[in-house]
Amino acid sequence: MKKSSGARMWRSLAEYENDPEFTKYLHNEFGTPLTDTPPNSAERRRFMQLMAASFSLAGVTGCRWEEDHLLPMTRQPEGVIPGVPRYFNTAMELGGVGVPLRVKSYDGRPIKVDGNPDHPDTQGASGVYEQASLLEMYDPDRSKAPAQFAGGKATETTWEEYRKFGLKHFRDLGQANGAGLFVLSESTSSATVGDMKRRFMQSFPQAQWFEYEPDNRDNERQGAKLAFGEIVRTHYDLSKAEVVLCLEADPLGNGPETIAQGKGFAAARNPEAGRMNRVWAVESSLSPTGIQADHRLAIRSAQVVALAAALEAEVAPKVGQTATQAAGAAKFLADEKIKKAFDALVKDLVAAKGKSAILVGSTQPPEVHALGHRLNALLGNVGSTVSYTADDSNPELRQGLANLVKKASEIKTLIILGGNPVYSASGDVDFASVLKGNITSIHLSLYRDETSHACSWHLPLAHYLESWGDSRSFNGSLIVSQPLIAPLFQAPSIAEFLAWTTRDEVKDGQQLVRRALGERAADDKAWRRIVHDGGAVGSMGSAVSPSLQTLKAVSLGEAALADLNPSGPLEVTFQADPKVYDGRFANNGWLQELPEPAMKLTWDNAAFINPKTAAALKIEDCSLVTVSVEGRSITLPALMSPGQAPGSVRLVLGYGRTHAGVVAGAKAPVAADPVDPVGVSVYPLRTVATWDAAQGVKLASSGTKVKLATTQDKHPMDDIGRQGTQARLPQIVRQDTFANFKETPDHVKHAVHHPKLLSLWNDPVSYEGYKWGMTIDLNRCSGCAACVVACNAENNIPVVGKSQVLRGREMHWLRIDRYFQGDNPDEPDQVHNQPVLCQHCEHAPCEQVCPVGATMHSSEGLNDMAYNRCIGTRYCSNNCPYKVRRFNYFNYALPLTEDRNEIERMAQNPEVTVRFRGVMEKCSFCVQRIQNAKILAKNARRKLKDGEVHTACQDACSTDAIQFGDLNDPTSKVAQSANSPRGYALLEELNIRPRVTYLARITNPHPDLIPATAAEEAEEVKPEHHG
Amino acid sequence: MANTVDLRDWQEPPRGENTYQKITDAVTRVVERTRPPKAWYIAFGISLVWLSILLCCIGYLFWMGIGIWGNNNPVAWGWPIVNFVFWVGIGHAGTLISAVLYLFRQNWRTAINRAAEAMTIFAVICAVMFPGIHVGRPWLPYWMLPIPNQMDMWPQFRSPLAWDIFAVSTYFTVSLMFWFMGLIPDLASVRDRATSKTRRFLYGFFSLGWRGSARHWHRYEKAYQILAALSTPLVLSVHSVVSFDFATSQLPGWHTTIFPPYFVAGAIFSGFAMVVTLLVPAREFFGLKTLVKVEHIELMNKVILATGTLVGYAYGMEFFIAWYSGSQYEGFAFINRAFGPYAWAYWTMISCNVISPQLYWFKKIRTNMVLSVIIGVFVNVGMWFERFVITCSSLNRDFLPSSWGYFTPTPFDFLTFMGSFGLFFTMFLLFCRYLPQVAASEVKGVHAAQHHAAH
Repeated sequence: MKKSSGARMWRSLAEYENDPEFTKYLHNEFGTPLTDTPPNSAERRRFMQLMAASFSLAGVTGCRWEEDHLLPMTRQPEGVIPGVPRYFNTAMELGGVGVPLRVKSYDGRPIKVDGNPDHPDTQGASGVYEQASLLEMYDPDRSKAPAQFAGGKATETTWEEYRKFGLKHFRDLGQANGAGLFVLSESTSSATVGDMKRRFMQSFPQAQWFEYEPDNRDNERQGAKLAFGEIVRTHYDLSKAEVVLCLEADPLGNGPETIAQGKGFAAARNPEAGRMNRVWAVESSLSPTGIQADHRLAIRSAQVVALAAALEAEVAPKVGQTATQAAGAAKFLADEKIKKAFDALVKDLVAAKGKSAILVGSTQPPEVHALGHRLNALLGNVGSTVSYTADDSNPELRQGLANLVKKASEIKTLIILGGNPVYSASGDVDFASVLKGNITSIHLSLYRDETSHACSWHLPLAHYLESWGDSRSFNGSLIVSQPLIAPLFQAPSIAEFLAWTTRDEVKDGQQLVRRALGERAADDKAWRRIVHDGGAVGSMGSAVSPSLQTLKAVSLGEAALADLNPSGPLEVTFQADPKVYDGRFANNGWLQELPEPAMKLTWDNAAFINPKTAAALKIEDCSLVTVSVEGRSITLPALMSPGQAPGSVRLVLGYGRTHAGVVAGAKAPVAADPVDPVGVSVYPLRTVATWDAAQGVKLASSGTKVKLATTQDKHPMDDIGRQGTQARLPQIVRQDTFANFKETPDHVKHAVHHPKLLSLWNDPVSYEGYKWGMTIDLNRCSGCAACVVACNAENNIPVVGKSQVLRGREMHWLRIDRYFQGDNPDEPDQVHNQPVLCQHCEHAPCEQVCPVGATMHSSEGLNDMAYNRCIGTRYCSNNCPYKVRRFNYFNYALPLTEDRNEIERMAQNPEVTVRFRGVMEKCSFCVQRIQNAKILAKNARRKLKDGEVHTACQDACSTDAIQFGDLNDPTSKVAQSANSPRGYALLEELNIRPRVTYLARITNPHPDLIPATAAEEAEEVKPEHHG
Repeated sequence: MANTVDLRDWQEPPRGENTYQKITDAVTRVVERTRPPKAWYIAFGISLVWLSILLCCIGYLFWMGIGIWGNNNPVAWGWPIVNFVFWVGIGHAGTLISAVLYLFRQNWRTAINRAAEAMTIFAVICAVMFPGIHVGRPWLPYWMLPIPNQMDMWPQFRSPLAWDIFAVSTYFTVSLMFWFMGLIPDLASVRDRATSKTRRFLYGFFSLGWRGSARHWHRYEKAYQILAALSTPLVLSVHSVVSFDFATSQLPGWHTTIFPPYFVAGAIFSGFAMVVTLLVPAREFFGLKTLVKVEHIELMNKVILATGTLVGYAYGMEFFIAWYSGSQYEGFAFINRAFGPYAWAYWTMISCNVISPQLYWFKKIRTNMVLSVIIGVFVNVGMWFERFVITCSSLNRDFLPSSWGYFTPTPFDFLTFMGSFGLFFTMFLLFCRYLPQVAASEVKGVHAAQHHAAH
């Protein structure tokens, strides 16, 4: 060490020694600290050093309002206890709607995303996208630095290079008033982006701005315009509705409003409280709502309009109004089953006047939305179950890209802010050729995707967990995003990028948001409050009461009037995928491996087709079919999907990515080791005119069979298996009608007759103190699978990939079983969901057979796993009647030897052991959360209170189907729930005393539609004597 | 010495013109030959190749994990456990022949007991290997042993796997001791005739100073009887305990009280079939026809017929009880077994195990050596399938239909199983080459008694 004179302060030995590298970092404030030595090639220690340097010196603003800078935890900040998680409210925007969130941060590292419990839109719950967005941030395939592309080949470059280019380029453009400058963005409700857009347009007055969103709510907005002459957003209060009719609407599935609607739905389905709504679902493909519905009519998507019109024609006279629509002439309405149901539906709606709700799905054309508004008005629902708020968002998102392409000749510079339009353009819009022209194109995005490769510049974009921002939640309230961590890869947010481009005096993301929020955030204290709360409390959208205009009679096309013959005309529907959405989450392993709700498909998309239609077309299960519409065609595997409407083929967006990453597929030169795309893109089949559904479809089977990795029915079900399933189904998923339940509430308890259950042993433990238990309400579970992803995130559950899922080795601790009930396998009478996790049996069969005592009973009744002790005999799994144990057949945990895993490992929960190969694992009832809560309670010298411990699945559940707590406390929610007359133990006749209680499903069929034999069937139960 | 053999009970002693000298010559000639027959080299070469494949498979398994096999979530036990039960079953004939038949004075056993005991030892070695490598962390199976340690970690004795450890290790120890003790007088014979120093030293070392004095014989016979008495219950216990792995679980198709006797009968069945399969070619190649006679093979075929019928009865009884219990899961498990996705395996098992041994009602077939080998192979195939059907077809569809799956083996399943035959035959061929295949001293004992009786 060189000798220095006088008192001197130094920050590090490097500085003390005037290390040139340090000096470089110190002075190179806006430099490129990470591009020189990318973190994926640095060893961990070096990586952390670099991260530390970039965090502290890059001048990026902080996540906590008290501080300006995000710093690494090398020096402990005041008031922060290492290892004690902290929670921050933030928000994620998807498709122009913000979702309020609360994120758990562990030593400066976000590890879990949940809904913001204080916000009415989420009330603590969340969906699969929100849960999985965490992994997206830590995705090592994210773009780490700017790049220039020529002919699809990337040249790595730096921000400095880009700035050199950009300064000149935009100065020149500014001098030309922005002529030839085009911007393509995703839809957003952010005031900050809106503000920056305004400033951008001031700087470049002749610039043109387009918005495009592959999955959008255009139909809804235009339907409102049709009905009211103005665009309004419709809100439903399902908790007040007695009769709910969903016209291809999926309030329990995925969407910005579903979390709040799930809560309302659950409140209206509480048989113990004597409250049971009746849900009617009319849909072309099986949705979570359709699964939970009391009556489900499977008709083609194109026929929904005919049904809605016929409904209006029937209902209007009955409520003393003149019908605007002609009486139903469609052939399918004459179908005996449909007609009977339709008549009952009319009766039901009229009887529940003012207490019903008609919901129309976003894939239905505007006319159906208008009819929905009309029906709600006719039935007097407006003001009680239905309300409206103003909506100023763009109603023409689907045309955005087409409109841009029309101006292709004028484009000189195109800035693409997020999104992946090259991939998600519909088949009739040739956007890729626009980028091939002689233009400068700049694409900002999280990944170097299909669009990046077609542009001349790619710039990395910050993740929402890394940046400041704001958005409007579905109810219109202002919510704010704050960064939980400094950008991992030196990326700006969209607002920051625009600020730089327009040479705004404000550059800092936080200041940009504050400036855009104006008055509201002017005062520091108010701003802190907003950031703390995750948004401005009480800033809901203003209610409006639009007046209904007279509707024209809808003209019904051939497809709408057809009958339900399975060999009739074919249609395809295009739906956002319940897992990867429009393709943006494709590179997320948690989502790819999540079983799709209806058919439990993972790692693929398929043409979901009604088995009878398939038989008529001679298409076999899992065979490749070519789907052609108007000369465009794609080839993908067909999947026999009971519950799919005859003649309707469901296609989901978001697959077939060629430049996504190692998860979803990457061609060389994206990845050194090319990965085949997961699934097939269906975008080429879609046009702006046939956005949601296309008619006149041709299907041809090539006869080639492929393997689809489903997590249920892995082996084709034969008749013996099917009969066996149907025979035991009434005992596994118990149910009753609401009418019967009111008479004999505990009827379901007698579904299994068994001798008195005696045990050879005394209870293994006394259960003094706490006795943990769970209840799962089958009446509420929609099967949305948010709990499964939440469990993945909380418990570090590995992703195993398609080949392993095909082998039946998926690792999910919590799975949602789906059963089709009925004698006809092609047309199930009913569909059931049943979440199954470790039941923590009191007489656990797994514990008895472990030769090394690796799985033992805790004194609080948990069935604990000691991973270190497990040698992997797998006997426990054989002896588990629920088959919830999961074995690490390979080393599924991310291997440390691979550099790329360094980043992804940061997503893992430090409180949960990462399991090595060869050990068994399973649900632990989130024992780490129990222990944390107990420590806090013990410090306060008190017992835990009910509700202090939540499992991850319980937190995520939007319908509160999962309750967890202490069964020793008779006042606890879980104890009360377990005591419900509908409570039953799965396979109770085995006398293993599971600690999870299922609450039987109660259906509320319309009295006119109860089959005469149903009551007798319910009585018919087979006795089970074990042994 | 003659007093130790009850003359009234022997049935089929080696007859004919055998003299002591001839017997010794016939048995030790094989060991003393400088070069074994060509067939031995070919067989040994093939066995070594498979043994190497086995070792490679195990190496890869240690490196990659259990996932290289086809095991999956409902079917967590696949071929390794099937192979384990299969080999333990094979290992049953030895002790039965040497101990039970000895106590019942079935003197014809002397022709085959040595080879059968050797087979037992080797089969148990193959068997023990499988649970050892099938665990998820194959470097840790010793945790199942009660080894005192300062961490107070102890096996969990309620687990049938812990019982297995004791049952199989006891069986192996006793079988090994029994076999080795029987070898001592014959090893001494080889030592006495040895021409090279190495042979004299090695055979001398293992013959433990045997000089054939009356006191030696006296102690030998006593010890032999005690060991026979000790191992007799083991014949019943080892496979009963193995069957507990299945019977004490609660899986439909496993949880049945018939398993212990059914497994024992099946084990004897397969063990005898294996002895026949091995001995017929051995007597052919090594010129032991005068000692191992057609009558011996026929007697074994009779045992195969009897145990095969018992096994067939057990299959029927399982179905009856599944129906009679009224338990829908149990009933389903058996219907699924016979007519579900694994029907092919079930009917293979029935054809091999129930139908093929019934041919032994005909004396012509029983005494036909070629057919004996063919049927012996059939029985072993059938018995392997029996274990496969029990293990996989019960696991693949248990209680909740949501978790039902299907087991498809990988190439590593095949290679590991075939490799275990490589291990078995390598050891067996080495035995044939270097140790007396027939218990010459016992044959002589029976022979002496025969002569004595004739006078």
